[in-house]
Amino acid sequence: MSARDSVARMLTLVPWLLERPGASLAEAATAFGTDPATIRRELLHLDFCGLPGLAGGDLFEVELIGDRVVLGMADELTRPLRPTPQEAYRLVLTLDAAVVALGDELPQLRVAVDKVRSVLGIPEQQADVVPDDEDTALLAAARAAVRAERRVRLRYRGRGDAAPATREVDPWALDLVDGHGYLQGFDHEVGERRVFRLDRVLSLEPTDIPVITPAPEQLPPPRYVPSPDDLEVELRFERGARWLLDAIDADRIEDHDDGTTRCVLRTDAPEFIARLVLSGGGDLTVVRPAKLRARVRELAEAALAGYRLDGGAS
Amino acid sequence: MTPKVERLVNLTIALLEARRPITFAELKRRTRYYDQGDPESARRMFERDKKLLRSLGVPIETHELAFSDEVGYRVPRPAYELPDPDLTPGEVAALGLALEASGADDSRLALAKLAARAPDPDEFEPITHTRLTLAADPVDQVAEAVATRTPLRFDYRTAAGRAELRRVRPHAIAHRRGAWYLVAHDLARDALRVFRLDRVRGTVRTDGEPGSYPHPDELDVAGLIAGPEGERVEVEIAAEDRARFELARRGAVPTDTSHGDRTVLRIPELDELRDRAWLLGFGADVEVLAPAALREQLIDALERLVAQHR
Repeated sequence: MSARDSVARMLTLVPWLLERPGASLAEAATAFGTDPATIRRELLHLDFCGLPGLAGGDLFEVELIGDRVVLGMADELTRPLRPTPQEAYRLVLTLDAAVVALGDELPQLRVAVDKVRSVLGIPEQQADVVPDDEDTALLAAARAAVRAERRVRLRYRGRGDAAPATREVDPWALDLVDGHGYLQGFDHEVGERRVFRLDRVLSLEPTDIPVITPAPEQLPPPRYVPSPDDLEVELRFERGARWLLDAIDADRIEDHDDGTTRCVLRTDAPEFIARLVLSGGGDLTVVRPAKLRARVRELAEAALAGYRLDGGAS
Repeated sequence: MTPKVERLVNLTIALLEARRPITFAELKRRTRYYDQGDPESARRMFERDKKLLRSLGVPIETHELAFSDEVGYRVPRPAYELPDPDLTPGEVAALGLALEASGADDSRLALAKLAARAPDPDEFEPITHTRLTLAADPVDQVAEAVATRTPLRFDYRTAAGRAELRRVRPHAIAHRRGAWYLVAHDLARDALRVFRLDRVRGTVRTDGEPGSYPHPDELDVAGLIAGPEGERVEVEIAAEDRARFELARRGAVPTDTSHGDRTVLRIPELDELRDRAWLLGFGADVEVLAPAALREQLIDALERLVAQHR
């Protein structure tokens, strides 16, 4: 426990205890996210705080009766210290993300966050977590299913899938990692745990069938971890396609003098990369492997064939 | 010797209680600290203490004193004291649960500060079904500048891949889909710009005094981050059945007409600029019938794709 952390806590402990005469060490420990022994040690220090020096000192009075605390003579510190800008913006942005994720479930949260923003002087136009409208409704439906412990029917298009498929899933948990939603559960099609990205879920339909496969004690994080067996791909981004870089987890990104960006990544879903390259509309090119280059050409030619069938008339 | 934590708390109180800026010598008299034999090391200890308290957010002001070579120090109460947000028991509980679901342990102290005067929280059922993760570290490098309206300078990797020096007046921090953004007035371009914080290279440095500029009265942060908008157009497409669900999410509705063996769908409001890439991603499953200009653009793009992957 560093002196810095202790001082920060002690300056808030004083006003907190002044409001709660007779609070227990355990209650204080819970409120401050620490243990009762730390609170006790800091109280012993506070007994020597106040205005020392003046005629033997004008010090706080700390009374410990059993594990109950009464603090007196501490009028110098009736209000807590303002959070630093870093603490304040982190807090507001974390809470804002929670409003997006849990707002409909915790109706008081939105009002509470507005009050917090107001005393910290951080309006929405200075700090904002911008929600994805498409995901918000799905998020609420997925959370309701996890809570109700009822099976869901998903229309889902996985990274490598050419077309969406229906999946029956026992939902276990919902994870929101940096703005991306993931539903974890038992997939009855494959008989295993699967992670479903909410932005690839096309629809989510609740059922009345109870969850029959219980969630394991520890659910691993939902992120895709590249394995060395995956296909290594090199892509070249022209300026116009650079924003598509955000859609992939690259191992290596290099900026070249001609204004292009080269990026190397590994993937277990080459079809997903092929479709990403299609989205680039010519500003994104597969450098290697040759097989993936051929696949992109094949997809683009098939699409062009459809247009040419109409003879350009539209 | 007095423990360090007591000295730091008492220094804070002495500076808060001072009705006017007081000198180091007066502080020594009032607190009985910093009176060890060697004045140099005493002074150094005081400087270290000041620095630590400032890092906690204690607003220690320095004043030039009239008729004196010395400076005076003071902590003004309004700048120190957090006003009471007047939270209800339900609101304290909701904030607690939200922070718990976020695993934001470092925000516990901030919550204790906000709830210092609040009644005890209601008992709510803990949230176990949803876990939130938001990597907020990038916020730290720009939070103070936004809060205090301090200009910044930093090297920024542009879309073209080059690093360029940018001098800006920060207005807002925002997050969307896994990325952190700084919304700021770019001095060289004399316009509002959005910067992705993961494209900032090296250290962000202050480039002027706090309070150098006002924040705008109105700022559409969400709109700025979404990027430039193309014109909204009504688009007609012929789609394979397997693409229908995905198209329906963007508001596609079937029409009475068909195109070959495919149904024609209409999407009332598509962004020509942003949604072109999305339409291309469907490959042969989606054919744009109208507007003609968009159709031509897609054909061009597909021809380029074929040429580049030969």
